[in-house]
Amino acid sequence: MTAAIETSGLCKDYGATRAVIDLDLVVEAGQVFAFLGPNGAGKTTTIRMLLALQRPVSGRAAVLGLDCGRDSVEIHRRIGYLPGDLALYPKMTGRQHIAWHARARGLRDLSFATELAGRFDAVLDRPARELSKGNRQKIGLVLAFMSRPELLVLDEPTSGLDPLMRSEFARLAREVVAEGRTVFWSSHELDEVQRLADRVAIIKQGRLIATETVEHLRDSAPQTVHARFARPIAPSLFAGIGGVSVTSCDGGAVQLEVTGAIGPLLRMIADHDPVDFTCQHAGLDELFLAYYREPAALGAPHAH
Amino acid sequence: MRTDIARLDLANRRRSLTGYCLGMAVYALVVVAMYPAFKTSTSLDKLIASDSTAAALFGVTGRISSSGGWLNGNIYANFFPLILLLLTVGYGAACLAGQDEDGTLGPLAALPLRRAAIVAQKAAAMAIQAAALTVTVAVLVVIGRSFQLDITIASVASVSAAIFLMALDFGLIAMTAGALTGRKGTAIGAGTALAAASYLISSLTPVAPWIRPARYASLFYWSVGNSQISNGVSPGSYTVLIITGLCALTAAMLAFRRLDIH
Repeated sequence: MTAAIETSGLCKDYGATRAVIDLDLVVEAGQVFAFLGPNGAGKTTTIRMLLALQRPVSGRAAVLGLDCGRDSVEIHRRIGYLPGDLALYPKMTGRQHIAWHARARGLRDLSFATELAGRFDAVLDRPARELSKGNRQKIGLVLAFMSRPELLVLDEPTSGLDPLMRSEFARLAREVVAEGRTVFWSSHELDEVQRLADRVAIIKQGRLIATETVEHLRDSAPQTVHARFARPIAPSLFAGIGGVSVTSCDGGAVQLEVTGAIGPLLRMIADHDPVDFTCQHAGLDELFLAYYREPAALGAPHAH
Repeated sequence: MRTDIARLDLANRRRSLTGYCLGMAVYALVVVAMYPAFKTSTSLDKLIASDSTAAALFGVTGRISSSGGWLNGNIYANFFPLILLLLTVGYGAACLAGQDEDGTLGPLAALPLRRAAIVAQKAAAMAIQAAALTVTVAVLVVIGRSFQLDITIASVASVSAAIFLMALDFGLIAMTAGALTGRKGTAIGAGTALAAASYLISSLTPVAPWIRPARYASLFYWSVGNSQISNGVSPGSYTVLIITGLCALTAAMLAFRRLDIH
């Protein structure tokens, strides 16, 4: 099966600034793929290169099996795009934007666009200059989804949306994937990514530092263990257990960080008369921050 | 051939274009209606003859009390090209670089269209706007024949066409500068500076012999700088104006292919 997106050695510089460096990325078709990174990490630049809006200085990119430079017209025909900083024509209403984009894309049937506008509760009859950021974003989402494209490339699509509309977006993205289509979505909203994405790529200062399923990321995250014992415990007790480090020890209360299997630690704790025990996986946000602080500590990179 | 982008730009500019046309129509009507009052004014001719440098700066050559001199001095050699250039250079700078700056170019460039087709539609929209203004002025000047202006429709049409082509050339040059740099200010600056230099070279040619050889590089010279309203526009002038426009259009297409869009 052809990958929805495939890049190899993709690089982009702005003068002396290296925006994207040797990006190797594969997005399989039929999944919600989240592209994570803080502002300025290179997410938007990567998206612009995928759409042939910007030219890479080296490397290659293919979308739906087509070369981004050579076949951009055909790629544009088959994708829906929402820019990160959506700008609408100030005097035109949402309805006029939708009608114009439909004409420009040769789309005659506007029933799905009307349905989408209803689902997002989009304001269609006021000029764009009078709309809030959220209401403009809803128009942008309708424009991106309305042609039922094979691939949706969405740059921070939920920016400005209220929680209700974020849920509607998530439902719509799931419907798209259920039909075998693909959503490539840049974000720094970690809660949403955790709920919605099948796979996640993390980009830092232009370099891809991890590509994983959300489950794998979560599983590979260190676990924080709190244990309380009936009598004081020496930290050295845990020194011989692989993947375990003591983060604090106060009499009978111990906090440990565990990477890998937890069984040996459980057996050790059970042998020393525990009175309380909790174990917690790091959330995606902690993991994301950990990657940004020091990816090597998490065994990164996992780009595959 | 799709025309959606051209139609969108024209729809978004219909009010300002209407304003341009109404303003120029009123101005042209006042100029032609005032002609009978100046037709017999020999003092004005003497004034012009006594200060050929000042006259040249305003593009006035020959007798201003003649029909051709009156139209040249008040409309065709200065004010009308200036207004038309405001329109074409302004649009040329805004349609690519300006839209890139305000963020509306990205969604356009993500449509299933070649970039050259986008430039072609933008150039067509520029031509339609410039044509609307040119025809408005031409119609008012032709109406001026009922105000004793002795001018043929053919000469009005030919000089109007030459000014239209010149304005289009500078507009396309501004578009090219915008496509090269992605900066609207630079595009306006490039178009305006070249137009101003072109105007000065053409208008100073009669009084500054040292600048004479440079007149062939001036698009003003080829369109209005040689009393075309009276003498007609030569095929050679049209050729220069058309070839310049085609070169600028090609350059805009090539530059836009390489532009990093935001």
